[in-house]
Amino acid sequence: MTVAETRSDIVAAAPAVRHQRRISWGAVGDHAILIIGSLIMIVPVVLAFLTSTHDVVTIHREGLQFLPGGEFAKTYGNVLFRSGGFTGEVNGVTMTVNSLILGIGFAVGKIVVSMMAAYAIVYFRFPFGTFAFWMIFTTLLLPLEVRILPSYEIVQSLGLTNTYTGLIVPLIASATGTFFFRQFFKSVPDELVEAARIDGAGPVKFFIDILLPLSQTMIAAMFIIMFVYGWNQYLWPTLITTDEGYFTLVRGIKQILQVWIGSNIPEYGEAMALAILAMLPPVVIVVVFQSWFVKGLTESDK
Amino acid sequence: MIRNLAAAAFLLSSTALSFAQTEITFWHAMGGALGESVNKIAENFNASQSDVKLTPVFKGTYEENLTAGIAAFRAGEQPNIIQVFDAGAATIINAPGAVIAVEDIMTQAGMTFDINAYISGVRGFYAAPDGKMVGMPFNSSAPIMYYNIAALEKAGVTPPKTWEEFEAAAPKLKEAGFIPLAQSHLPWIFTENFHSRHNLPFATNDNGYTGVEGTKLLVNNDAIKTHFTKLVEWKSNGMFEWYGAGWADNQTPFEQEKVAIWLGSSGSFGGLKKSAQFEFGAAPLPFWKSIVGDAQPDGYQSFIGGAALFAMSGKSEEENKAVAKFFEYLTSADVQYQWHKETGYVPITNAAYDAAKADGYYTETPAAEVGITQLNLPAGEFTKGYRMGFYVQIRDVMNREYGKIFTGEATVEDAFKTIEEEGNALLERFAKTAS
Amino acid sequence: MKRVVFGHSWLPYAFLLPQMAIIVVFFYWPAAEAVRSSFYLEDPFGFGSTFVGLENYTTALTGNEYQRVARFTAWFTVIVTFLSLALALLLAVKADHVLRGASTYKTLLMWVYAVAPPVAGILGILFFDQHIGPLVDLAAFFGWDMKVGVNYNDTAIAMITVSVWKQVPVNFIFFLSGLQSIPRSVREAALIDCQSATRRFFTVTFPLLAPTGFFLLIINITYALFDTFGVVDIMTKNEPANNPVTLVYKVYLDGFRGNDLGGSSAQSVILMVLVLALTVFQFRLIERRVHYT
Repeated sequence: MTVAETRSDIVAAAPAVRHQRRISWGAVGDHAILIIGSLIMIVPVVLAFLTSTHDVVTIHREGLQFLPGGEFAKTYGNVLFRSGGFTGEVNGVTMTVNSLILGIGFAVGKIVVSMMAAYAIVYFRFPFGTFAFWMIFTTLLLPLEVRILPSYEIVQSLGLTNTYTGLIVPLIASATGTFFFRQFFKSVPDELVEAARIDGAGPVKFFIDILLPLSQTMIAAMFIIMFVYGWNQYLWPTLITTDEGYFTLVRGIKQILQVWIGSNIPEYGEAMALAILAMLPPVVIVVVFQSWFVKGLTESDK
Repeated sequence: MIRNLAAAAFLLSSTALSFAQTEITFWHAMGGALGESVNKIAENFNASQSDVKLTPVFKGTYEENLTAGIAAFRAGEQPNIIQVFDAGAATIINAPGAVIAVEDIMTQAGMTFDINAYISGVRGFYAAPDGKMVGMPFNSSAPIMYYNIAALEKAGVTPPKTWEEFEAAAPKLKEAGFIPLAQSHLPWIFTENFHSRHNLPFATNDNGYTGVEGTKLLVNNDAIKTHFTKLVEWKSNGMFEWYGAGWADNQTPFEQEKVAIWLGSSGSFGGLKKSAQFEFGAAPLPFWKSIVGDAQPDGYQSFIGGAALFAMSGKSEEENKAVAKFFEYLTSADVQYQWHKETGYVPITNAAYDAAKADGYYTETPAAEVGITQLNLPAGEFTKGYRMGFYVQIRDVMNREYGKIFTGEATVEDAFKTIEEEGNALLERFAKTAS
Repeated sequence: MKRVVFGHSWLPYAFLLPQMAIIVVFFYWPAAEAVRSSFYLEDPFGFGSTFVGLENYTTALTGNEYQRVARFTAWFTVIVTFLSLALALLLAVKADHVLRGASTYKTLLMWVYAVAPPVAGILGILFFDQHIGPLVDLAAFFGWDMKVGVNYNDTAIAMITVSVWKQVPVNFIFFLSGLQSIPRSVREAALIDCQSATRRFFTVTFPLLAPTGFFLLIINITYALFDTFGVVDIMTKNEPANNPVTLVYKVYLDGFRGNDLGGSSAQSVILMVLVLALTVFQFRLIERRVHYT
């Protein structure tokens, strides 16, 4: 339990104590709303999982299934290990690996690049500093989606389609992380810099020995948010990777859905299984590292 | 990065080892079971000789495949062969120097090319204005009619040959508890092939074949408007249902035995055999006798749907030779017959068709012959095909306006006026890209 | 700005270099390229192009379809934003209020944050499938013949439902943490002053949450405009036909599906201007926010 939660329990306890005799109906109502809300969040995913354990023809003719079926091992085995494509080099495992590379590569890249830039902006005064700040800031204005076509052309003309570099680096070209660390660095007491100076530490030493350890929680929070963001990318990987060897899980879903528009029976079961696999890692990370994640998310706007 | 380096190193070493072998790539849009058939063809081709190694790569939908091919071409990394669908044919054929015509690549490689070896229905669509074959028809299909045999028997009707016959039979099918009719692709079945089946002009400039300048859609005509007016009437009488623009959304109710007659692709045959747990038959796409008249008792032939293979330019002579070799293999009677049997696409050469007949395939499964029969029907002035740029968007406009017709948001008259206007504006824009 | 800074001649540039290199190559260059190509009509293979001035803009802005897409995008954004915020606020207030299971509810209500929009889209098409979707059956039970993929409004409702489902968790997290940061003393004072819980919410809690709300407003508008791409793409099943799509999806359709590079670029530039306007608006709000906190 985190500090924030404990505090909220105390705060919430205050009205409860006072209204002890009258709360029952109100509390029941509160719980009812929360339970309905939780169910709406969970039931679709549970049904998707149950459905994924049935065979295609059943799903095709009868729809979503409310009980587990007997195809679990087969469907998930297929999705994970059956090789697709002529080269036979793509299956669920390779797609998971690619998703991990994208998620981790993006998170690490973004953190490193934006911490460095934020450090330069906050701790140095130099010509063009303000100009650089505004150049970086402007990138917040235009999401990748609105400059998607020319971005694609440039990545393609650099010969970076179907590479991890082309997949990851263009996604880093926005300033969200830089701003996050800029705000954090500004909240670090000036006394630390002075102390470091007295000790004779230069800027690089200060960055590595003092600022980095101080930022640990922020880095962890940022990592989780950025990992989820990178893992869940869809449009960009759809365009940049046409080589099956580079498909991510989320990208792979589109591939399976392709049959929806063709004349074969859609592989509903496998699409569902892939969807479940695609949501599993980010969900686990968000749930397990909940407190860091929430902190990172809510602090980033300050 | 590391992976790339490793791949590059591997490539270097492997080229050194297999110096004699020419490697060529083939980008296609055949997913699922169709993709497996393509892979099998490639494996067999590679095993059949040792000079050429072909690698097929699945690139997504037809649209994605074309876009990927274009992007690769601009970056100088194009594949040797790319599969392009009917609606994208104008984009690739009108780009000067993007492709080498099939006929040229074959003759340059010292092979013979005889256009008469191909069945008549597939010769024209992917050809230059002078009749030279540019793209090689690969997965060619025709829109045909599938019917639930038990449903028709229950209603006491025979499969309708014309829309007049359908109109007479539909109330009985409805009586028997079925939705008489559904279809899966309005632009393809009820627009493009509507013009072809009735030998009506679809666009000026010989359906767009003689040039991009000034090509205009002729889709706003009385024949098709009458047809759609009928469809609206049938829909309100419960004789026709439309389930949106998704292919499967319209096929599913037929498989669920709710719909008695469904218009789909000859290539749907393989899938239906698996998903439909009842007896079904197939027959050619109905036509209006009132439009065709008595001259053609079975109507005119339909356009080939599906897609063709294009040899992309900018490759070495050696690789082009390898491409020609693969084309030769692909058109051989055995390969075509096998492909036809597995997928339901029509065999593109007369030899393959004869082989299927000789093998007794059609006596066994008569439904499999319907597509090719329809493509072999008499040709007319306007049945060769169409060639229009930005046609993907034109199809989108059609789909949108047809949606409006069937949900009552637009009248047939207004919808076709919009299709004509927006379609012509797109064609005009396309003409400007080509200069 | 920091009062204490380092002085160094080249080090700050070295620290800035990676970020600057990436944004110049992958941000400024593409943005400039979009503006340039919006004035041309180009052969997709790159063999030729014609300068057409503002034609791509006028074609887009005067086109009926573009206007319809723009109107839908506006509605879609307003509804998705409003519903996601309202439902999240309701749940956050309740989760802040309950004694037992608060942290369990919190986990259960926030984890969908990690689900990718296209994955949400897949769940959407299955639940709203014309033939097999349980939500369509449910609608039929109430006498509503829901036809997703056929009826424009029904498809819109399905898309909105899925998009809201996906967005409620983020808002929930922010609202809950906003509520929990309200000092205890303020809450106790409010309890004494104000007996009605509803009035207490609107006179005390709501104003205190307003800064969070303003911030979330921008986040949600951006989400509805751009991040719902995956939902739209999956739910239209590659054949938009007469179904609603958003402006970003139209950029993709014309550029990638239709290979109309100039037209697609012009639409990109229009969106850039729109986002620019939105950001100016956001700045105003942030300024106001500073006064609040």
